[in-house]
Amino acid sequence: MMGSYTPEQRRLEWLYGLLGLYNGLVVLLMAGFMCLTQQKIVSTMSAHEFLSTLPIVPLPAMKGFWLSMGAYALLLFLGKLYRHGGLESGQRQLIFAAEIGICMLLMKSLNLAYDGIVLLAVADLMHRYHGENQSWLLLVAMLGLYFMANYNMAIFQRHVAPFDVYAAYYRPEVQSVLLAIKNAFQSLNIVLFVLYLVLLVQSQHHEKERIASLNKQLEEANVRLRAYALEAERTAETRERNRLAREIHDTLGHTLTGIAAGLDACIVLVDAAPAVVKKQLEKIRETARHGIVDVRRSVKKLRPDDLEKLPLQQAIKKVIAEFSASSGVEIQLVELGWPEKLREDEEEVIYRIVQEGITNARRHGKATKVTVTCGLEPGRFYIIIADNGEGCAETKQGFGLRHMEERLELLHGRLRYWSDKGFTLEATIPMGKNVMDNHGEDKE
Amino acid sequence: MKRGFALYLAFLVFLTCFLGWYLTRPKVLTVGMFAGSNWNVPEGEPYALMEAAIKRFEAEHPGVKVKYVSGIRKEDYSEWLAERLLNGDEPDVFVVPGTDFALYASMGALASLERSMNMDTDFDPSVFYPMALDYGRWQGDSYALPVGAVPTLMFVNKTLLAKEGIAIPRNDWSWQDFLRICKAVTRDTDGDGRLDQFGVYDYNWRKAALTNDVDLFSDDGKNANFTTQNMEEVMRFMAALHAVNQGQEVTAKDFDMGKVAFRPFTFAEYRTYKPYPWRIKKYSSFEWDCIKLPAGPSGHNSSIMQVMIMGISARTSEPRLSWELLKTICYDPAIQESLLTMTQGVPARRDVVESPRAQALFTAATPGSEEMNLQIVSQVMDDSITEPKFSRYQEAMNLADHKLQHMVQEGLSIGSALNQVQKEINSYLQQ
Repeated sequence: MMGSYTPEQRRLEWLYGLLGLYNGLVVLLMAGFMCLTQQKIVSTMSAHEFLSTLPIVPLPAMKGFWLSMGAYALLLFLGKLYRHGGLESGQRQLIFAAEIGICMLLMKSLNLAYDGIVLLAVADLMHRYHGENQSWLLLVAMLGLYFMANYNMAIFQRHVAPFDVYAAYYRPEVQSVLLAIKNAFQSLNIVLFVLYLVLLVQSQHHEKERIASLNKQLEEANVRLRAYALEAERTAETRERNRLAREIHDTLGHTLTGIAAGLDACIVLVDAAPAVVKKQLEKIRETARHGIVDVRRSVKKLRPDDLEKLPLQQAIKKVIAEFSASSGVEIQLVELGWPEKLREDEEEVIYRIVQEGITNARRHGKATKVTVTCGLEPGRFYIIIADNGEGCAETKQGFGLRHMEERLELLHGRLRYWSDKGFTLEATIPMGKNVMDNHGEDKE
Repeated sequence: MKRGFALYLAFLVFLTCFLGWYLTRPKVLTVGMFAGSNWNVPEGEPYALMEAAIKRFEAEHPGVKVKYVSGIRKEDYSEWLAERLLNGDEPDVFVVPGTDFALYASMGALASLERSMNMDTDFDPSVFYPMALDYGRWQGDSYALPVGAVPTLMFVNKTLLAKEGIAIPRNDWSWQDFLRICKAVTRDTDGDGRLDQFGVYDYNWRKAALTNDVDLFSDDGKNANFTTQNMEEVMRFMAALHAVNQGQEVTAKDFDMGKVAFRPFTFAEYRTYKPYPWRIKKYSSFEWDCIKLPAGPSGHNSSIMQVMIMGISARTSEPRLSWELLKTICYDPAIQESLLTMTQGVPARRDVVESPRAQALFTAATPGSEEMNLQIVSQVMDDSITEPKFSRYQEAMNLADHKLQHMVQEGLSIGSALNQVQKEINSYLQQ
């Protein structure tokens, strides 16, 4: 995303490059002018006159020139480093401080003749800050920089060879031309800088607008998605209902029809040929048994996929993990104990209760944290699902809860729920000999 | 791994070699000085003293070479030094022209010597004549040390005074005595109606001002103060002295012919002209001697001293060695003694000047000056005054010279004329 520049950013980068190039040219010309003038002064034997108008001994001509050029190169490098992403803020501040230091050195080596390079540092500073307090921060930073520049002027004034003294070496006509050129350099730099500022502000404004419009699009997409999800749920429900109807029609309907037809035949035949009826009844029993097998197969098909493939514990862990990942709810599973053996229908009920419980916590309670605890007590197995959601003052027994209760009743289990800090749901399923026997009988 | 180690080893070897070379490389110091005398008199071997000092220094500091550029004339020296400073290749130790001293000290071209002077236990600044040492000070800190100095003395034509029956004035004589003698000797001896014997030649208001305690300039050379009581006394005296000659100009020829009683002379000029062969050539017709300058009503018999100073460049790469070299030139008693034989100046160290050995050397080096006692010279040096040393001093004084000359000749009212001069000098200084 950072790699792709908008045309505006490209223009900004281009202008920054121009600003850097322009300042480099000015520094080169200024340093070159001073260097050449100094050499000329020495060669025309006016060194003493020149020196006596200066408050300090200036640097040797070539040394001053190379110091300026070196300092400027370093400034550009630091600017590049500063603008480059992937730096910690501490490092960046350090680099900026170094940049200001080099700025001062450069200004001093140019004998304060050109202070435009301060603007280059300001441009760097502007480039980086995007925060809320950007304008204030910038104002303070710019004031600080200008204050510093002027303060340096005041301090260094007695410690540099002023530009005017260099210019004074030439004839008065030339002097005025030189000063005019110098001022033109300053002005043009300010023009470039202001242009850069305008572009920068513009680009930041557009960036904000772009982000706002993207946000709006996202919102719309979300709404559409929600509607689609509702519709999909309804479609799935219908499809399920159709499937159930088909299933019932195919299995129970077929068997019952067969049984009814068989019984009709029996009624007609019972007096005339009891032996045939007997045979017929055997056939009907056979059909009923087939029916039961079919029903079992159908019921099996209704079982959740996970439970089909995985043992209960892992299936529960999986459903919890998936739900947690998709909904963002933090779910903790506390396993205090599992029964050694469970029947398929018991497994399904437990699985459904967990599934329904965590779904309810998210959907109705808007919970962000859910704790699922399961454990064994003598004679029973319990599951407690507690969340930190809104709960509800007066629990309306929705479809989910009633459904759970019905399922539990089939297993002689019990469902309790209350809400204080969030909503808590406790389901108990009896375990043990009696129950097992009971069921055993059922199974027979 | 092996290559890395080899590289590391190579780097270490290189570093050792470099360090070895760096620490044992021959160190070269440069000295900046001009050919010829600092006191504008002919001198036989201009570099003799410096060579003696260099020889001594090199013997004491093996491995250090000292070089100097020869052949720079005194009048070109100031510009030469400025060019070197501008090019950044100025000598480590150099003679500082008096008029450039304040400029270079203020712009930081000269290294402050305070630290070296305080740290060096075998350096005692009190051996120098106070005014000579003071000449190398700027805003309370020393930036240069005196090499030698010459006081200005009053030359007396003993023959002429004897002929007129006038005793040689004592060293504490005043302007009144001076004026009286001048009036007495100024007359027409051959009866052609023109004055041909005069009181004084080359005595100007500057010398009068210095002996009347006139403080013309503020220390920074930004303000002039000509309108003092003392300065008025000077102008009145100069007018009186001028009136004695009745408008006739005294020339150097009159003096050479033995027709002038007094002439201020620097010690260097005295030493140059007194001995053979100059004496034969120039002043064979009369006997002469030196006394202090006459004192004005508000001043005393001070003498004007010209001091030759040397300083160290603030950018020298060898500050410690440079200080040692400067010390050898300015402080070493043997070199200071050589000043008496190799140059026309006086050593800046009082103890050297006052030693019997110095007297013997001086007498041997300056034939015909047996009566010149170095003890007296030393006394003169002690209460002599140095000229202000801000950069535009010479120009300002030339301007004042011109104006005052005019004023004396025109006979303008002294008070208003001084006012006018002060205004003009001030406007020049504050440009």
